[in-house]
Amino acid sequence: MRCAFLVAWREFVENVKTKGFWLGIFLFPAILVFAGSVPLILSKKAVPTRHFVLVDFDGKYAPAIRAELARQRDAELGDALKTHARRAPYTEPFASFVRPASTNGTVWHGGELDLVRWKADAGTNWLAVPGFVPPRPGLLERPLPPGLENASAPAELEARLRPWLRGETLLPAGDGIPATKLFAAVVIPTGYGPGATNAIDFWCENQADTGLRDLVQRRLGEEFRHSEYRRLGLDPAVVARIDALRAPIVSLDPRKAAGEERVGLSDLLRQWAPSFFVYLLWVAIFAVSQMLLNSVIEEKSNRIIEVLLSSVTPGELMMGKLAGVAAVGAVMLAAWIGSLVAVALFQVSHFAGGAAPDSPVATLPADVIALVRTTWLLPAFAFYFIAGFLLYAGVFLTIGSLCNTLKEAQNFMGPIMLVLMVPLFLMPFIPRDPNGPIATFLSWIPWYTPFVMMNRITAHPPARDVVGTAVLLAGFTALVLWGCGRIFRMAILRTGQPPRLVEMFRWIRGR
Amino acid sequence: MSSAVLDLRRVTKLYGEFRAVDDLSLSVPAGCVYGFLGPNGAGKTTTLRMILDILKPTSGSIAVLGAPSATEVRSRIGYLPEEKGLYKKMRAWSVIAYFGTLKGMSRAAAKKRAFELLERYGLKDFATARTEALSKGMGQKVQVLASIAHDPELVILDEPFSGLDPVNQGVLEDIVTDLRGRGRTVLFSTHVMQHAERLCDRIVVIAKGRLLFDGTVDAARRLAPRRVRIETADDPGPLRRMPAVAALHDAGGGKWEVELREGTDPQSLLQACFEMPVRLRSFDAAEPSLHDVFVKLVGTDAREATFR
Repeated sequence: MRCAFLVAWREFVENVKTKGFWLGIFLFPAILVFAGSVPLILSKKAVPTRHFVLVDFDGKYAPAIRAELARQRDAELGDALKTHARRAPYTEPFASFVRPASTNGTVWHGGELDLVRWKADAGTNWLAVPGFVPPRPGLLERPLPPGLENASAPAELEARLRPWLRGETLLPAGDGIPATKLFAAVVIPTGYGPGATNAIDFWCENQADTGLRDLVQRRLGEEFRHSEYRRLGLDPAVVARIDALRAPIVSLDPRKAAGEERVGLSDLLRQWAPSFFVYLLWVAIFAVSQMLLNSVIEEKSNRIIEVLLSSVTPGELMMGKLAGVAAVGAVMLAAWIGSLVAVALFQVSHFAGGAAPDSPVATLPADVIALVRTTWLLPAFAFYFIAGFLLYAGVFLTIGSLCNTLKEAQNFMGPIMLVLMVPLFLMPFIPRDPNGPIATFLSWIPWYTPFVMMNRITAHPPARDVVGTAVLLAGFTALVLWGCGRIFRMAILRTGQPPRLVEMFRWIRGR
Repeated sequence: MSSAVLDLRRVTKLYGEFRAVDDLSLSVPAGCVYGFLGPNGAGKTTTLRMILDILKPTSGSIAVLGAPSATEVRSRIGYLPEEKGLYKKMRAWSVIAYFGTLKGMSRAAAKKRAFELLERYGLKDFATARTEALSKGMGQKVQVLASIAHDPELVILDEPFSGLDPVNQGVLEDIVTDLRGRGRTVLFSTHVMQHAERLCDRIVVIAKGRLLFDGTVDAARRLAPRRVRIETADDPGPLRRMPAVAALHDAGGGKWEVELREGTDPQSLLQACFEMPVRLRSFDAAEPSLHDVFVKLVGTDAREATFR
């Protein structure tokens, strides 16, 4: 036992010293933060202002599009001001319009700006707030370049616009705007309208950015519908009210206490949190098994194994390695879960500032804590991590003992990876029907039990499934480890070609 | 105490049909340096692995330090395998200390001992170097030190000299001599006869898994034909008629090699030369070397093994 501990300790210390370990520890939270914040930053900062021209030969629809653009710009500014209010809620002149938010007695810094009241109060000066820098507009209409105003037909205008649209000629600088490329041209031909056979020409090199195109289409579609309502004698306001009618529906869970049956965010969390743990389990098993493989192959190819085996038994060596690498995995997981919690708490405290005390975002931390406390999530995770880890690590360790190089090991790894991919593919389906036939069936396959049962654990699976699969998994893991131990003992000293399957079976049977 | 440290009784190891070790019996007394000689593929490494209980014999029994299995007494045994390697990322001292702790030493004692050994055998400056930065010879010395860090009673070294330059071979010989000086038993395999000759009290010769010789170096020497080299301008042909002379080989340039029958005193040849007379310019009655013994015992097997 002492030797197994020494082997485990060395394994742990040497792995912790590697760059890969620290990369793994920091990469995950880094990706988490990155994934959380970059799209936000990108959507705000990285998309440049799109300069475009709008030409309406009949002059009939341009005002509607401009009105829509103004409305959108107004919303942009409103959002930006709200964000500003969250950061600096006590700024005069709008401090009295900011409602400090509190959740569970905790006062979050920041609060919600009552934009409607503020705008009504401040009038046209609503943007004149100290420290507030209005964001750049996403879309900016520019006048037609000089000399093009007199084009008499769309075809002529479009032909002359091409150099601008291709970026060969830049729009002139002015008004604090540098010379820029013309992003798009929206040309509405003569006679355009409902039932017309012609169409708006939307000229743009970048067909992937459909913001402007969608805006024009959405707004003019609305215009068309409204004119049709009017033609038929319908009031568009009435139609809008009819359109807004929704059929209310509430999800109720009969397992919950009376009065609390409503299904909310915490229930969604309950349903989907296990999936997160399954991913974590999967990534941990995968990362850790790679370490095991490397370490066994190092010892084997360096022939250290023989000295080791004169000091420890193969069983102790195997146990020590499994324990040491499991400890590495556990530290990694703890770091990941810890960083996730930290990031989540930070996000909540930072962005939920103005959320109402009973809003889903504000109660999220309490929900998570309740989830952990009232369900078997964490103990189950510990059990399935240990069992799953031992099962797969035992197999990987044995593969390492069979091979002299990583390249050889890759051949064996292929099929195992395929087996390991299955729970990953099934992950989205199991939470939807956690006690359905597929989930139940897969639970009883021991090498999938950790993943599938982990996924089902908060969905109140039948006790028969929980206990039965756990016993089966434990038994199967013990059996696999025993068999792996026998192969390991024989294979570890072997050089040259990996043994054939027949030979391995003979080793397991102890001949 | 001269009781056997190691006792092999009729040990056989089969790999399928192949007999790697065939009915080998051997007894190693305590406190001696025992050479384990044999050509490539003779079964030396297999035998050593069986002694260490890394491999199980197909039949026969092995007693090590009085125990039926080396596993029970592994903390009293040191082992250096034939193929040598170290953890590349670990430091020299920590490798030695790690193997020391595996053999039952406390961490502090193992660390202290590691630095002591590295200093004593000329590796002080490399104690904190990663083993991947060491030369092959240095790495090998570190491994030898790792195998003796816990001051074992029985040290088993498999081809310890291979890959070392003459200076480091000397250092290794010092290590072995030191061990003997402190009453430890050393069993080492080699096919370099000079080392065996200089270091061993007793030798074992095996080939094709079978025991060919087990005894003192002197006894081994007596197995080889005694050769006398003479130099003369005369014709030494008449010496062939002597009953003591088994053969006479012309080495060219007036040099001859006289092969004497077993038990013959070279003095009788010298006397016969004076009587013939064969006027001698030189007379060299060197003792047969282990090399001769080895070639005589395993010459054919070794060649076969090489071409197998």
